[in-house]
Amino acid sequence: MKIIYMDNNATTRVAPEVFAALEPFLTDDYFNPSSLYEPAHGPADAITAARKTVARLLGNARPAEILFTSCATESNNTAVFGTIAANPDRRHIITTGVEHPAIFSVGEDLQRRGIDVDFIPVDGDGRIDRVEFVRALRADTLMVSVMHANNETGVIFPVEELSRITKETDESIIFHTDATQTVGKLPIDLRGSFKHVDLLSFSGHKLHAPKGIGALFIRRGTRCRPFLLGGHQEDGRRAGTENVAFIVGLARALELAMERHDEDEPRILAMRDRLEKELTARIPYLEVNGRNAPRLSNTLNVACHFIEGEGILYQLSAEGICASSGSACTSGSLEPSHVLRAMHIPFSAIHGSVRFSLSRYNTEAEVDRVIEVFPGIVDSLRRLSPYWDAKKNEPRPEAMEMLTRAEMP
Amino acid sequence: MTWNYSKKTTELFMAAVSGKPGTHLGEIEDADGFGEHGSIACGDALRFTFRVDRHATDPRQDRIIEARYLTFGCTSAIAASEALCCIIEEGDFTPIDALRITNQDIVKYLDGLPQAKIHCSVMGAEALEAAVFNWAQKRGVDLAELGIDIRHDEQEEGRLVCTCFGLTEPYILRKIEELKLTSIADITNSIKAGGACMSCHHTPGGLQDLLDKVNGSRPTTLKQLPVLPMARAPRAQPPTEMSPFKFAKKVEEVIDSYVRPQLANDAGDIEIVDIKDTKVYCTMKGACANCVGSQSTIKMLVEQALKDQIDQRIQVIEV
Repeated sequence: MKIIYMDNNATTRVAPEVFAALEPFLTDDYFNPSSLYEPAHGPADAITAARKTVARLLGNARPAEILFTSCATESNNTAVFGTIAANPDRRHIITTGVEHPAIFSVGEDLQRRGIDVDFIPVDGDGRIDRVEFVRALRADTLMVSVMHANNETGVIFPVEELSRITKETDESIIFHTDATQTVGKLPIDLRGSFKHVDLLSFSGHKLHAPKGIGALFIRRGTRCRPFLLGGHQEDGRRAGTENVAFIVGLARALELAMERHDEDEPRILAMRDRLEKELTARIPYLEVNGRNAPRLSNTLNVACHFIEGEGILYQLSAEGICASSGSACTSGSLEPSHVLRAMHIPFSAIHGSVRFSLSRYNTEAEVDRVIEVFPGIVDSLRRLSPYWDAKKNEPRPEAMEMLTRAEMP
Repeated sequence: MTWNYSKKTTELFMAAVSGKPGTHLGEIEDADGFGEHGSIACGDALRFTFRVDRHATDPRQDRIIEARYLTFGCTSAIAASEALCCIIEEGDFTPIDALRITNQDIVKYLDGLPQAKIHCSVMGAEALEAAVFNWAQKRGVDLAELGIDIRHDEQEEGRLVCTCFGLTEPYILRKIEELKLTSIADITNSIKAGGACMSCHHTPGGLQDLLDKVNGSRPTTLKQLPVLPMARAPRAQPPTEMSPFKFAKKVEEVIDSYVRPQLANDAGDIEIVDIKDTKVYCTMKGACANCVGSQSTIKMLVEQALKDQIDQRIQVIEV
């Protein structure tokens, strides 16, 4: 069966161009870039070139400001723990209630270590509460970490604004953003609109580079201690032999994303919008999460009232369609996604969320197939649901009340 | 997380959602027995109905001839509901006989369920029980007279223990007994209690206390510790006179023999990081690492045990 892959916010396939660029460094040019002999110059030069490329494509940052890591999680951990280690006199951090676990769990852990962490709430469309954000800033605030776009809903946060507010309040507060879902998709200008951002994390495998490579931008002058100690690599800021091939792959993938952006972006947006329009037209009681907020053009997160997401994914999978859900049964705990809970999605729908995330490799025919299959799957589960009247194809009267109750108990 | 359902489970699920003939999707109108369990907020809910062939004179000899369900839930919840109906229709049960069907029968019928999904089978057994009580009321059968406890409405009564899933003390106590649950992990897997915020695990009157109440008490992390063999006996040698090596050995010994087994009951563990003078630095591992009560565990269990068995001056510090 042909696989229809619509889970690109989880990971992406490696682009053939990227694979071609990185392959020689797995085979012929395998040398350690730190070695002195002649053959090692190739890998060392490739890293230098890759660093320049990445820096240039993020708005003419300085190459020395780019640190290569193993993944976005490492970048995030380095950003937070490194900042804390370098600034022991401040003990307050601000983040949001919908961050990726690579920040959210770090925040929770910091609370256990005695650091004050404020998780700023979001509204029903997943937009950050700016008043709460401004109120949270304190004289002893060390750091602010706000993701650029949410991985589950695709909702974009106004990082430009928030970083400006932060810096205008207090120049020495360090501003970090997790841009894992946005690098290559949204413009990031570290000399322009992002000039107040001190630290920025992302990874390769969300933009068609391999898994196992990430990067962290550290603005010159930002106090941030290294997370991994050992060798002198990355100017001593991140020890460990460089993953030459994947560094080259990351740079090539970013280059490719930028080159193709003007062509890919409208096409992906059109497919997503069509998927959204057709599904909402065909399926009653379907919520589009984050509908009124600015969203990534590739992400569609829908919540189907009165059914559970795992059964949906299971049937999609039987059709060869890969998507994901924020339901409790797929989370590994017994609670649904913290992102959807923070958005106060009605509890009749929170368990029935499904995320489709597209890439340049999706086709109109694949979108057609999902439009064809998905309503039937929702219908099959609703026929089984005790809250649904199968004959009238609407919620039972007693279930109707749930639609208006906005919060999980 | 990939799916690890048995073939039987996936077959029943796919048959149910595709509306294959012979499946038991639906609701019987004017059913002889009607039972519900779960709620949409908790992530799964089941409505179970059955019809009986009424015996002319003795309602106790009614036989269940048809069973139907409506389920909101994941793959295994739907398969478990289907399994319940199959078991009943294949077995030619009277409603009273049907009470003997347990969640284990459902698990067996499905060729097993993943641990974390056991609660789906419990939901089936619960809804069946509720439906039989409903039948008894309608048919004027006095279950108490037959030696069957009528406890179907206890869910609404009693103190709320797990607020996330709305489960009360009498209900959890009964389930601990019936399903022979011995640890908090068991409870969570079977009836979900304690599976979300986890704050009811070790609070007074929480899940651990309920387990103790049923299974007999056992030293717990928050209760008064039992008097240990060497507790409070005058020290022959204070630790300052004990060599650091000996002292460290002793600490390790007490942690291994007394503390670890208790933490293991909650799928947790502890690691000694360093010992400086009488200060013992520890890290909590496994489930304890994320536990909101880890600080109290360190103080009440670890530190108290070391104080009692080695020296009162010991201070345990969580790292």
